[in-house]
Amino acid sequence: MTRRDLWTPNRRDLLRMLGVGGAAVGASSLLAACGLGTGGDGPATGNGAAEVTGGFDWRKAEGTEISVLQTPHPYQVAFQPLLAEFTELTGITVKADLVAEADYFTRLNTELASGAGNYDAFMTGAYFIWTYGPPGWMEDLKPWLQNSSATNPDYDFEDIYEGLRRSTSWDFQVGSPLGTGGQWAIPWGFETNVLCYNKAEFDRRGIRPAETFDDLMQLASDLTDRANNKYGIAFRGSRSWATIHPGFMTQFTREGCKDYEKQGDQLQATMNSPEAVDFTRKWVELARSAGPTSWTNYEYPDCTGDLGAGTAFMVYDADSATYPQNIAGNSAQAGNLAWHPGPAGPDGSYGTNLWTWSLAMNSASQKKLAAWLFIQWATGKDAQTKAVQTGQAGFADPTRQSVFDGAFKQTLGNFPGYQETFEKVIGSTDIKFTPQTQFFETTEEWAVALQDIYAGQDAKTRLDALAAANTTAVNRAS
Amino acid sequence: MTTTAPPRTPAPAVQREPRSVPAWRRGLRPYVLSIPAVLIIVGILYPFVLGAYYAFLNYAAVVRRPVFIGLQNFAEILSDPAFWTSVRVTFVYAVVATVVETVLGIGIALLLNRSTLVGRIFERVLILPLMIAPVIAGVIWGLMFNPQYGVLNYVLGLGSTFDWLGEDTAIWSVILVDVWIYTPFVAILVLAGIRSLPKEPFEASAVDGASWFYMFRRLMLPMMWPYILVAVIFRFMDCLKIFDHVFVLTAGGPGDATRTLQIGAYQNSIIQLQYSQGSTYMFLLWVIVFVTARYLVSVLGKAQRRAAGSEE
Repeated sequence: MTRRDLWTPNRRDLLRMLGVGGAAVGASSLLAACGLGTGGDGPATGNGAAEVTGGFDWRKAEGTEISVLQTPHPYQVAFQPLLAEFTELTGITVKADLVAEADYFTRLNTELASGAGNYDAFMTGAYFIWTYGPPGWMEDLKPWLQNSSATNPDYDFEDIYEGLRRSTSWDFQVGSPLGTGGQWAIPWGFETNVLCYNKAEFDRRGIRPAETFDDLMQLASDLTDRANNKYGIAFRGSRSWATIHPGFMTQFTREGCKDYEKQGDQLQATMNSPEAVDFTRKWVELARSAGPTSWTNYEYPDCTGDLGAGTAFMVYDADSATYPQNIAGNSAQAGNLAWHPGPAGPDGSYGTNLWTWSLAMNSASQKKLAAWLFIQWATGKDAQTKAVQTGQAGFADPTRQSVFDGAFKQTLGNFPGYQETFEKVIGSTDIKFTPQTQFFETTEEWAVALQDIYAGQDAKTRLDALAAANTTAVNRAS
Repeated sequence: MTTTAPPRTPAPAVQREPRSVPAWRRGLRPYVLSIPAVLIIVGILYPFVLGAYYAFLNYAAVVRRPVFIGLQNFAEILSDPAFWTSVRVTFVYAVVATVVETVLGIGIALLLNRSTLVGRIFERVLILPLMIAPVIAGVIWGLMFNPQYGVLNYVLGLGSTFDWLGEDTAIWSVILVDVWIYTPFVAILVLAGIRSLPKEPFEASAVDGASWFYMFRRLMLPMMWPYILVAVIFRFMDCLKIFDHVFVLTAGGPGDATRTLQIGAYQNSIIQLQYSQGSTYMFLLWVIVFVTARYLVSVLGKAQRRAAGSEE
């Protein structure tokens, strides 16, 4: 037998083999394009709420193990030790996977887009519902809430602050307000965006927080002393959607500005309205004259870190993010901090944008009853009360009025102004953005525009360009 | 009685007939043998082809049924000024970082070539930045750059007002971090090249009284070109694909000042969930890298032939 008999591939054979390989690749691509592996077709299973019948019983899914995707956060940290109590109550084991906040949504995107259903429940923010909801990645929890066989009669959904319930509900129609359509997540913890200031320093100087935005600009500038590395006010400025939603959006709203207006069935971006241009110019000027030098890189830990170190005198951000800085041992300025609603608008408005960490159910989950029991337990009165009482990093703010009025008020101690501030703004606290599916793209572009204006571009010109681009983007997908 | 044993004759070797291989196995053999090659081809090509294919769809999180849209993504991206800003930023980054790292790397290699005790210590210290993940390096340098509490402004006496990551300075600061991480890579590569050179030409030149600089320019550098070009190719290709420490330090900002092509692709794919637009970015980046790599490899080939004396 010669070597020739054993078959030596010639060029044509190789080409044939490559052709077969290529065809396999092409076929795989086509299959993928048909939805396989893309998760593009949404949930593979039904809602499941209607299948739960009979009386309510915590042990209806006994023996099940569920996986929950979470990010390390005071809410999660406070609840981790309580999971054993949940298992004891229900017979359900919870496997909690933790991913750092910086990478959390990347991981969640990938997980949900795959449609694999590896996680039965997950932490999410309200804005993410606008992106994750339309493709069908999230389960509507309204049928679960309405089924008395699946939901404890004592659950009392109405006890959760109205603004929070509304913020996690939408019908995915462009221009529809929040509070319409399904309930895509249950608020678990939240934060209002208000002012936290160094009360000890303010008292020493005999000054009070500003009540109008112009006064705030003046006060912050007066407090700034670059030679001694002290500055008036910290707020976020990084190239991220997260720059827009805390202090900026809160004050933007109070000053009478809106992000979009509905015209027919389309949205028109209005972040270039005369009042918006005027406010944006002032906000950037505030950052330049009294903000952190490296403002364009500032995230909330930088802001709160500077407050705790005594480098910044004020922070305009989430109350729950500044809260830990006042706990003894957590910062150099612990015990010196106090809270204030921040400047009211010209009409006296204290409209405040909120962020809520909520719990949602993966529509691809195969263990929906167990996942719902977990969500229900974690957002219930008993567990929230315990988390508030035992959470060592603090649990601010509970989403239930009964828990705030009960256990949380008792933990506040000497946190001057915290409760008063909360009570002053909570009635007008909800999401001030117009819900739309291109939220992250358009809001990051908004942050980029702020950075460009900070670098010297004309505010009116830059915001006109931003509004034009965002109008196209938000209507593109509708 | 004595007996004489008959002389032993070696047993004839057993002639084995080759076993006849059944025809079906003979026919199957080429396919079995080609399995590893096919797996490799599929393993490499599948993600690439799939990614490239997505560039021709309107695939995004909010699109439930992606459809083929031809070159629309390419048209949109190529007409977007932000893309061209990314191209400019990427090339400025790649050219400046590669040039600085190459010059510094050659200089450091020449210094370390004298094998003194200090040189040997430095050789070991030199590799430390390469042992740090670029993301971690980004975090470390981010802390050092901070005007409020960073060490750089303090040591350099710049007060709290100089912003290393501001609009005008950010690109140079992220290049500085790249230089810090990767100059040792170039130095080590060039040093290995220097130590592999033949000694005779240098000894002969020294006997003839040639200066150090003359020997460097006329002998060492021409013979070193292949090594230097390998380092340049590696660094230039890596710089075109830069993401990690730039993202950690600036996320592409302020504005679009450090928005490289990779960061643009990440923002499209992961932040905005526009998968097809992200794939289009990556496809365009691949074209840029491929064309550049082909050119640099051809230059390398010429340099190698010239160093071997086969081409003037």
